[in-house]
This record gives sequence, C-alpha cells and structure tokens, in this order.
Amino acid sequence: MGKILMKGNEAIGEAAVRAGCLSYFAYPITPQSEVSEYLARRMPEVGGVFLQGESEVAVSYMIFGAVGCGARAFTTSSSPGISLMSEGISYIAGAELPAVFINIQRGGPGLGGILPSQGDYFQSTKGGGHGDYHLMVMAPAGVQEAVEMVMMAFPLAEKYRNPVMILGDGLIGQMMEPITFPDHLRTEPPNKDEWASNGMDTRKSSKPNLVKSLFLDPKELNAHNLLLKAKYERMKKEDVRYEPYNIDSDYQILIVSYGTMSRVCKTAIDNMKEDGMEVGMIRPQTLFPFPEAAIHDAASKAGCRVVVSIEMSVGQMVEDVERCVRGKCPVEWYGKCGGEVPTPEEIAGAVRSLLEKNAGSFGAKY
Amino acid sequence: MTKIKIKNSYNGLFIRVLTRRSRFRSAKLTATLYHRGGRLGGFILNFNGMKIHLRGIVILVGNFGSGKTEVAINLAVNGRREGLNVRIADLDLVTRYFRTREVRRFLSNLGIEVVVPAEKYLHADLPILSPAIAGMIRRPGQLTLLDAGGDDIGATVLATLADFLKDKSVHMLQVVNPFRPFTDTVKGCLKIRDEIEKASKMTITGIVGNANLIDETTIEDIYGGYDFVSELSRESGLPLMFITAAVELLPKIDMKRFSCPVLPIRRQLVLPWQKGR
Repeated sequence: MGKILMKGNEAIGEAAVRAGCLSYFAYPITPQSEVSEYLARRMPEVGGVFLQGESEVAVSYMIFGAVGCGARAFTTSSSPGISLMSEGISYIAGAELPAVFINIQRGGPGLGGILPSQGDYFQSTKGGGHGDYHLMVMAPAGVQEAVEMVMMAFPLAEKYRNPVMILGDGLIGQMMEPITFPDHLRTEPPNKDEWASNGMDTRKSSKPNLVKSLFLDPKELNAHNLLLKAKYERMKKEDVRYEPYNIDSDYQILIVSYGTMSRVCKTAIDNMKEDGMEVGMIRPQTLFPFPEAAIHDAASKAGCRVVVSIEMSVGQMVEDVERCVRGKCPVEWYGKCGGEVPTPEEIAGAVRSLLEKNAGSFGAKY
Repeated sequence: MTKIKIKNSYNGLFIRVLTRRSRFRSAKLTATLYHRGGRLGGFILNFNGMKIHLRGIVILVGNFGSGKTEVAINLAVNGRREGLNVRIADLDLVTRYFRTREVRRFLSNLGIEVVVPAEKYLHADLPILSPAIAGMIRRPGQLTLLDAGGDDIGATVLATLADFLKDKSVHMLQVVNPFRPFTDTVKGCLKIRDEIEKASKMTITGIVGNANLIDETTIEDIYGGYDFVSELSRESGLPLMFITAAVELLPKIDMKRFSCPVLPIRRQLVLPWQKGR
C-alpha cells in the first residue's frame, strides 16, 4: 500500500483498527478529539464499536469491562481527561488487564491550555492513580512512530497483562505526515481463557474467572504487589526502547529528550554539527521502562561534561536522567511549557550556555 | 495539440482552451479560464503561464486536512505580489492547530489584511468568529479569501454568513488531496461536496487539486493527483480551477501535461523543527 497523508489523531485511530482493536470508548477533549471523529466513521465500517462515555471516569470503566471480558479496547484523551481516568487506570493495573490508553498532552496544570506540552511525564511514569503500579509508557516522536507504537501497544499490554500508555502531545495529534501501516505489526490476540471473564460456556470450563483488584487479606495483597513488581522488572529487562543520535561523535554535552521535543533537538544538533560542534542525544522511546543503562553509558563517555534534559515541562524527566547519570557529570534542565515549543536556535543557545556554565566540569573523563 | 479560442463575453474576454480529448478527456471542462477586465480584476500569474482568475470573494472548503489553509495563504501571498488588494479571514472554528492565525504576522507584513479573532483569544478553545468578517464580505477587496474549517462541520459557519454573502460574486472552491482519507476516491470527494453544500447552504463552484504528501511528494504524485482531479471535474461537472505544486518540485515538472494553472506552494505552516519561510 502506498503512503497516505494523515493527521496524528486519525492515524492513531486507524492504527488501532489495524491492530485488531474493535472497541473504542472516549470522551472528547482538545487536542485529541479527531481520534473519536475518525473512529465514529471508521468503526462501523469494520464492525467495531465507538461509544462515547458520559465522562472520562465512565470511559475508564468501559475499558475495564471490555478488556476484563477479553476484548482489545483502548481510549484516547488529553491531560485533564487522563486525570479523571486515573482511578480506573489504577483498578485496571491492579486487576492485571491489558488496556491501551493514549494521552495527547496539553498544557497544565488544571485546565491549562490546548497547545502541546509534556507536563504529564510524572503522571504517566510514576503513577497518576493510587497504589503500587506502573504503566508501560511509550513516547512517539512522529505520526509514523505513533502508528507503530499503537500497533505494538496491544500485544505488549497482553504480554504483561498491564495497561500501556502512549504519551504524545498536541503536535503528535494535530500534525500531518505521510505514513504507511505496517502489516507485520498486526497480531492476533492471545487466548485469554485463563483469566478473562469471557463466559464459562464459551471456554467450556467449570472454573469462573474473577477479574478484580480487591485483596482484603494483607498477605495476599503483598504477594499480589510483589507479582506486579516482578512484571515491571521484566519490562526493564525486555522492553526498553530508545534511539541514540550522533552518539558516536566526540560530544561534550549529551541531550536527553523525547517525543516531538526530540525532533527540534535533532534539528539543533544537525545545525550545531554544521558549525563544528558535536552534541549527542538519547531519545527514550519508552519512558517506563526508562533507558537507564543507555543514558548512564552515554553520560559516562570520555569527554561528556554535562547532560541536559530538554522537555516541554518545567523539568520532570530530568529527575530520572539524574538518577541514571548517577553523578558521572552535572545534569541540567532546559525547556518551555504552556504550549511554547523551543526553536532549534533556542536549544542551540541553551546548549552553548550550559556548556559554558559547566566548563569547569571534568565530566566523566576523570 | 492545444487550440485557444478567444471571444468577447459580457464584460471581458472569454478564453477556452481545448486540448486533444484523447490526452486529457476532461480538458474542455477543466481549462475554462475567464478574464474579466476592470479595476477589480484579480490576476495571479503562475509558473506555467496560465493564470488563476479569482475575483471578489473566494471561499476555500474541503475535508479535514485537505490543505485549505496552505492554499489560502499561498493565494494571498501570490495575489499580493501581483499588487492586488488582498484580505484573508480565518473561519476555522473546528481545528485548533495549524490555522491561518498562526501566520498572521507574516501575512500582515506583506500588506495582507488578516481577519482573525482578537489576540487574547487566539488559542481559546471556543468557536469565535470575528465580527469584522461581515464587514469584509460587505466590502470585499480585489481578492478576499475566506478559509473555512474542515468537512461539513467546518463549513456550517458559512450558513451563518449567508445573508452577507447573497448577491455577492462568490467562488466556493473544494480543495482536494487524494492522499487524504475519505477523499481518495471520486465518490468520497462527491460525498464531501454534498455534505459541505448542505451544511453551508451554498454551492461549490470549482475544484482545487492539492495532491501532496508534504515533503515526500514526488512528481508522479502531482501527475497522478492531476489525473484524479480531472476525473473528479468530469464526474462533478465542476471546473478544475487550478492545481498546486511545491516550489521545490516546479523545475522538474512537465507543465505541458496540465491544461489548468498551477499555484506554486511555499509552505508556511511548518513544524517547529522544520525551516520556516
């Protein structure tokens, strides 16, 4: 199939259909409403369902019900909507269910604004809802990658029986890029008879499957949490994804950046290279599990004097970067929020001044 | 083989270009060019020597992401460079990103009058229509461009302007990119035409071919897109007003292949990591 020009939000909807997901529940919010508009047309064509909930809270429990019965289901929303869903997300993680949540972030906190932001890093990677749980979080940097991540999200959610979140921003949702749908990423859902509440007649079993997140016995709850923890540790071993950029050069400064922000950084890195200045970058594609070793190794490279986390927030991922660099060299933050996207020139300016500020840093060399 | 017939019409020249039907079956329909003289005559010169004549009010409609805004901006810039008095209004109440308002300063600096909501409401998630639009329609400039929102939903706003638009000379052009979902077939384009006409309570008067895959567009895409909109023109009975092509592609394109004008597109709505104007 040839390329087609799609808006990120439309492409996300189509990717879910191509991944074999026929259940979509959502409540509209800018800047992701086009996913619902697209699927309102598309789902009936493929025999699927789009049901608009009366609120995001309702939507999260529609997802709970659908995936609890063994269906592939997903929803899309934007920052304030994800906050409302957080209770349901915690229940879904607690009940070990494979659901896909897509957050096309806008500026916050509160109602914030409708322009792109990366202010939901903490919410996505550290919880959002209550209790000891993690989402697997993937962050696309473009429409094509968003398509691929959506198609990968369903089997990954099923592999871990854990919710997966795609963390995009308003630009990912609204921009248009030529894309193709990779058929090889389409997977058949696994057999869910072991745990899904999918009807005893159909699976010819005498054992009822109970989908729940309630464990009143403290020993049982402790064991359940340890089981979840083991799952997150397995994610860290098997499903860390990142993209290194200009990492073989003799860089003195290392950028860590994700999503659309990383694309501005790439342009800045290319421009600085033309001016004879080398800058390396690690772009986490999974924010949980985080590419801890890759960042540590890149920061440990001889000559690297400073690491900067560049984000469209006032500094959230920088805390994880600091944790990974483990004191090998100073860690700084640069960014903007509220909908303003730093330009390549602003990034180059920040990189130069941070390098100057840390000129005395011996970096990892010593 | 191209024949050009010229005859006088009511208030100017009427030019019809006929090409061999075997090569461009729809050419007779697609290449009807009107040149009306007079002070208000809107002429925009184009790369292939043919001229896009648009006079008075030009409304751009089409499905989501068909490229209405980029076409409107480039028409405005080209018109202004030809010395026309140009006005452009952002009627997009549907989408929230990549709208005319984002390049308002660039257009204003060229001397184009830009009508957008007040600065403090530029990013409000509200359907704000500037009251200046009604005045602009009442007293249109030599070229007055109205950039509507996508689909029938985006075109609904036009129905509210119906009182102001009646008795005016109005071109309502459907922008078509066959590389977009839902307009990759002639049937799909006709369906959207019908929906837009119903929602706007207005009639589409022409087609604009805007085949592109942004920076991955090839010459073949432009040729294929031209053939597609030519067929659409034949099926719909609507004239093909012009097609578009990115300025970078123009030197490689065989202009003789087209029997309609080509509007050169210099992309203005670029992403933060791309080089701007």
